[in-house]
Amino acid sequence: MIYPNSKTILEVRNLCASVSGTPILKNMNFTVKSGEVHAIMGPNGSGKSTFSKVLAGHSDYEITGGTVLFEGKDLLELAPEERARAGLFLAFQYPIEIPGVGNSQFLRLTYNTVQSHRGNEELDPLEFDDFVRDKMKLLEMREDFLDRSVNAGFSGGEKKRNEILQMALLEPRLAILDETDSGLDIDALRIVSKGVNHLANKDNAIVLVTHYQRLLDYIVPDFVHVMEAGRIIKSGGKELAVELETRGYDWVSDEYKAASRVAA
Amino acid sequence: MSAALQNIINQPYKHGFVSDIESDVAAKGLDESTIRMISAKRNEPEWLLDFRLQSYAAWLKMTEPTWQNAHHPKIDFQAISYYSAPKQKPKLKSMDEVDPELLRTFEKLGVPLHERMAMAGVAVDVIFDSVSVATTYKEKLAEVGVIFCSFSEAVKDHPELVKKYLGTVIPTSDNYYAALNSAVFTDGSFCFIPKGVKCPMDLSTYFRINTEESGQFERTLIVAEEGASVSYLEGCTAPAFSSNQLHAAVVELVALDNADIKYSTVQNWYAGDENGVGGVYNFVTKRGLAQGVNSRISWTQVETGSAITWKYPSVVLLGDNAVGEFYSVALTNHYQQADTGTKMIHIGKNTRSTIVSKGISAGKSNNSYRGLVKIAPSASGARNYSQCDSMLIGQESGAHTFPYINVRNNTAKVEHEASTSKIGEDQMFYFAQRGIDAEAAVSMIINGFCKDVFQQLPLEFAVEATNLLSFKLEGSVG
Amino acid sequence: MSEATLSSSSYLQSLLNGQARPAASTQVWLNQLRSSAVETVSELTVPTTRDEEWRFTDISLLTKVSLQPALVSNNLTAADIKPFLIKEATTRLVFVDGVYAPNLSTAAKKEIVVSNLYSELAKNSAVLQQHLGSHAEIKGNAFTALNTAFLHDAALIMLPRNATLKAPVHLLFIASQKEVVSYPRTLVLADNGCEATIVEDYVSLQDEAYFTNAVSEFVLADNARLHHIRVQREGAKAFHIANCSAILSRSSNYQSVNVAMGARISRYNLNIRMAEGAECSADGLALIKNRQLADTHTFIDHAQAHGISRQLHKCIVGGAAHAVFNGKIMVRHGSQKTDSQQSNHTLLLTDKAHVDTKPQLEIFADDVKCTHGATIGQLDNEEVFYLQSRGLSETLARNMLTYAFGAEIIERINVNSLKHSLEQTVLEQTSTQL
Repeated sequence: MIYPNSKTILEVRNLCASVSGTPILKNMNFTVKSGEVHAIMGPNGSGKSTFSKVLAGHSDYEITGGTVLFEGKDLLELAPEERARAGLFLAFQYPIEIPGVGNSQFLRLTYNTVQSHRGNEELDPLEFDDFVRDKMKLLEMREDFLDRSVNAGFSGGEKKRNEILQMALLEPRLAILDETDSGLDIDALRIVSKGVNHLANKDNAIVLVTHYQRLLDYIVPDFVHVMEAGRIIKSGGKELAVELETRGYDWVSDEYKAASRVAA
Repeated sequence: MSAALQNIINQPYKHGFVSDIESDVAAKGLDESTIRMISAKRNEPEWLLDFRLQSYAAWLKMTEPTWQNAHHPKIDFQAISYYSAPKQKPKLKSMDEVDPELLRTFEKLGVPLHERMAMAGVAVDVIFDSVSVATTYKEKLAEVGVIFCSFSEAVKDHPELVKKYLGTVIPTSDNYYAALNSAVFTDGSFCFIPKGVKCPMDLSTYFRINTEESGQFERTLIVAEEGASVSYLEGCTAPAFSSNQLHAAVVELVALDNADIKYSTVQNWYAGDENGVGGVYNFVTKRGLAQGVNSRISWTQVETGSAITWKYPSVVLLGDNAVGEFYSVALTNHYQQADTGTKMIHIGKNTRSTIVSKGISAGKSNNSYRGLVKIAPSASGARNYSQCDSMLIGQESGAHTFPYINVRNNTAKVEHEASTSKIGEDQMFYFAQRGIDAEAAVSMIINGFCKDVFQQLPLEFAVEATNLLSFKLEGSVG
Repeated sequence: MSEATLSSSSYLQSLLNGQARPAASTQVWLNQLRSSAVETVSELTVPTTRDEEWRFTDISLLTKVSLQPALVSNNLTAADIKPFLIKEATTRLVFVDGVYAPNLSTAAKKEIVVSNLYSELAKNSAVLQQHLGSHAEIKGNAFTALNTAFLHDAALIMLPRNATLKAPVHLLFIASQKEVVSYPRTLVLADNGCEATIVEDYVSLQDEAYFTNAVSEFVLADNARLHHIRVQREGAKAFHIANCSAILSRSSNYQSVNVAMGARISRYNLNIRMAEGAECSADGLALIKNRQLADTHTFIDHAQAHGISRQLHKCIVGGAAHAVFNGKIMVRHGSQKTDSQQSNHTLLLTDKAHVDTKPQLEIFADDVKCTHGATIGQLDNEEVFYLQSRGLSETLARNMLTYAFGAEIIERINVNSLKHSLEQTVLEQTSTQL
């Protein structure tokens, strides 16, 4: 939702990044204010997933130019865990399996780590158990879920729900959902979306990175951006997503090229 | 591998100090006179000297084994001193008479010897170089008939028991290093749990090498009579020397009908430096004889130290329905080499064995699991389940599994599973994205990986093992 | 090994001198290859159970059999070999007691070469020199060295770039005389992108003792795809020792199915070396009874990154037979993203049957997916009970399950008539075992 007088959470200016010398992001510009829901769309290879990993600080990517301010602070200065503690959350496209590490243990450690950095009280295992079970209801998760290893042997839908559960626990200022809808059946999509909608408020913001318009029927964006070749080439409202669904991406690309020629 | 991961796995060894204690060290070299000297110094009876001399004769005819997946320069057995003991008063009446430097050494190692400050509920025997220097709670254990003392004392006070069981599980000519040990062993622990007694506290031996040129050849013998049970713990450390020390111990366990022996080891001998210089050669023979019906022998080991480790704590399942277990975590880093595993020899009917092995290799180290599951024709209904998992950290380490399975009975069922995984950048990033730093992430992943083994350790040891792994794997991160 | 047998090195010498060595070839390199093999044999001894690689396989029996030189001419006719023919195979090379039988073979000599080595030697000298004997290691391997010392002729398949052979090639090695030793040799050169199925088949026309010592080399260039089906159905008193090396270039694909059911004592060493992105499967079935011993040693070497290997090896052991499986998977430094799965399952049908198995993983790269598993046991009583509860007799239920256990491997054979005949053999053998 767009609120008047909302604060800027994320400000990306001319961001350039490359992986093993190949430029992937080329002068990316992107601004997010509190309360807003953004969708970044684009064909495969347009740099969407790279953008979300760069924001989270993945070491595979080298920043070659530009700035990123997160609530006024230089995000690029921070280690990945510091970004997470500052309130930046990435729901992974492919959540990692960690065999042997109990989910409840993992969730409590991540919750307490982030809380203590915010100067809040940590929860002991019993308190945490009540707390997390409450959140699990939101995502219609089975009870035995806490006893299993982190993502190990989870179905695709369970993994994605686990991601959103972590989002619910960590209460980030900015949540980036990378292809959270991919691989989900319609029921799982409905549950995950319900969770995300429930967590969205006027103080935080959500960025949906997605290939398909389907997710946007459930989580309605305020802004839709089209990425191509490492930059945003068109932005619009939620109706843009519908148009992309029916017309594909080519016309946006053509329009952009034409505009670039005129500008040149 | 990221710098963070690198820092975490490369922590210094904190037990590497040398204690300044006056020691009585024998001249280097080994011949028959050395053995007579050791036996004389310990006032041993004739039969024990004969045992040693026979073993020596067997050893002379044997050659060093070469099948292990580990490499080292040839050991010069004449360049080792076979006897070293701290000089002390001949007889100690109480702990107060122990050399204060020695007490400080063990306090530094976290093993306080004063009973009033000792670990609650654990009796400790302390072996410094080759000699037992202190045993706690001896009298209290004697009240229920449990004998827990140094091997020397056992020879003196319970010769009939020692004579009856010594060398029955591991014959003197079993293998090269067992033969050497049988010839030159100096001290060790002796535990005897009489019929029907559940040992009221955990028994523990702490081994410390202090002298650079001396080998350590201790001997442990644990006997649990019918219906008896005991949990025994063993810990080891050594100073950081640039030379290699040889540690060739022999441990024999005997479990009679319905007896239960649980043997846990946390091995943290000096592993050498980051260039592979120095460290202990840990060539140990450990075997349990589950002789009685329904007997049970369980080995749990956490192996983090030593330049080279070769050991295969084994169980001979002789009694019907006997149970053998082996739970192992072996962590290697830098140039360490570990070739460890177990042998489960099924002879009795309906015998069961479980093997859970977790190997973690970092740096340029090599970590091998080598195991034998043998089902004899007589072992109808025998069952074995083995699981061997390896974890690699970094691209220069190696993980190997060599499970040998021999089955001679078609009613037996044997299952073996193995897998290899890694601590990858992706896992680390996932943790970081949830606000968890690299140290905590590695510690959590490793502890998760080893959980099945740690669960088997007695509580005090589980804490020590977790700390030890964390210590080896934790550090300041960038 | 019994003291009465010849000392192990003189035994090899007796084999070496037991029959005339091939006359000097016009190809100097071939003469050199042979003489270096003769030298190697002289340095080696017959392996014993003290050698780790032969720990469970005692071949001292072999040294007690007196072996004579094979008679040169053995006039088999088409009728003699009819039972062994594979109807899909339009090209076929037949070797009788190790000697090429042109009258029984249907060779191809144009772009695709399916022929005996001898007749191609001069024409393709350069490429043959490059490959023949350079993949089958003679160092430390007495049997490969012996075979190479006697290398005169061989089954040769040369597939040019992008060639596709729709019909399988049948290499038929027939033992027709007792107490002889033969040295079958196979070389397959598959150029970039070609596809073929090759059946390597060992059969016998008589039941007395003899010794087959075979060596095969399979060379797959980039993107080549080969199915290699190997059927060892030697006579009941035969000794069969074979070494096969498969060299897989980038993104090539080698699917191998090996069925061992004959011979008193058999040993098959399969070594597969994989370059980047190569894929292989190495499946096997040992189906043995009486006092047979079948030993399969495989070594899958992930020498480069992104390789995929799959292995399923099964043993069905009846009588007082003895199965040995040693499967080593090596993942070398830098072979990241290797994906390897190995399983070994053994069914012991009788209380005298036994098995020694040693699956091994040796891993030097950290970003890999490797698993192996082994099980040994009897048929699952729950499964037997389930079938009984559906009205089958216990015997029938057991036969059915035993058959199904073996058929899982046979089904991987992509030549229908061979598959069906082997299925029939498995069915017969499993139903007489119980």
